[in-house]
Amino acid sequence: MSNQLYNQCLREAMNWLGDQPDTVFLGQAVRYGGTGCYESLTQVPDHKKIEFPVAENFQIGVSTGLAIQGFVPVSVVPRWNFLICAADQIVNHLDKMPLLSSGRCQPRVIIRVAKGSETPVDPQEQHKGNFAEAFRAMCVTIDIIECNTPESILPAYQLAYTRTDGRSTIIVEFPDYGK
Amino acid sequence: MTKQELIDFEREIGDRFNNREIRAPIHLYAGNEDQVMRVFEKVDCENDWVCCTWRNHYQALLKGIPQDRLRDEIIAGKSMVMNLPEYKFVCSSIVGGIPSIATGLALAAKLRSTKEHVWCWCGDMSALTGAWSEAYRYSVAHNLPITFVVEDNELSVLTPTHEVWGDDRWYLPVANNRTWYENKHLIYYRYRNDKYPHAGAGVRVQF
Repeated sequence: MSNQLYNQCLREAMNWLGDQPDTVFLGQAVRYGGTGCYESLTQVPDHKKIEFPVAENFQIGVSTGLAIQGFVPVSVVPRWNFLICAADQIVNHLDKMPLLSSGRCQPRVIIRVAKGSETPVDPQEQHKGNFAEAFRAMCVTIDIIECNTPESILPAYQLAYTRTDGRSTIIVEFPDYGK
Repeated sequence: MTKQELIDFEREIGDRFNNREIRAPIHLYAGNEDQVMRVFEKVDCENDWVCCTWRNHYQALLKGIPQDRLRDEIIAGKSMVMNLPEYKFVCSSIVGGIPSIATGLALAAKLRSTKEHVWCWCGDMSALTGAWSEAYRYSVAHNLPITFVVEDNELSVLTPTHEVWGDDRWYLPVANNRTWYENKHLIYYRYRNDKYPHAGAGVRVQF
């Protein structure tokens, strides 16, 4: 039941983001099934979803460009172990853009990532890392929020969308919650 | 902005660097003035985005950023990270860092059906990275409003690009070994910068 509640809260958060006029969702399995993330996006309108190649660093760079143009991209990468391939665009670009531009360029990107599920099957060491602390150590402006409870999910995404402090947000999900 | 004004601006910046007025790296252009100006004949300076690397003064001037403003930014240490979104001018000083951001700008323009075009500059080493390849392939396949401009001086700092990559110049078959080639999504030109080193202005400066 608790895990169902966690997933229900994810769906509510994605639906809320989908109702915002300037959001766009991109990543693998946002329009086509295959990952756990997809189930939370089925009610988001198709025209707001861009199915993307597996190219994490490219995806985050594209998200930054979209955000500079005024979109609020929700960039979905299903596991931390995949997101570390985008470390350059996160650490050197998205995080530092406000500093490089003396605050004139403040792309607001929402990165959605999960610590890989370990039950009912253990995906082994390349799929279940949580690198939140490591990225906190490397990032100056990006806010990293770990959603440890169902109740924390919607407020986290609402903060990421409504914030006006020029910061992007990485939101970490825990699909094993309540199992 | 004339060719001579471009040259004079870089010389002034070089002199200021050598006089210790700029306490951050600079990367100066020389020898490609005609080619850069030829590209800018196509650029809508008011509406288009220009994306560059750490070497960007010529593009900034031709985009319409006032000389005084550009000089102030350079003296403030921003030469290699020139980001002025109010002029639609975005740069990265990481090899292969700017193509994906430029692609995002172009994707936004397409999604919103604006008339903006994106011009994304990089050098020969950057154009051989996977990061550049991903951006180029995606942009061409999705017909995004973007043109990638590859400046080939055959060097990455002092590393001979085409020697270390095995002389596989992917763009030469289309360029047919010319010094200038262009199509909808790609402009390629070759040039030599015999005046300035990769960074600085040729004088060792001790701050």
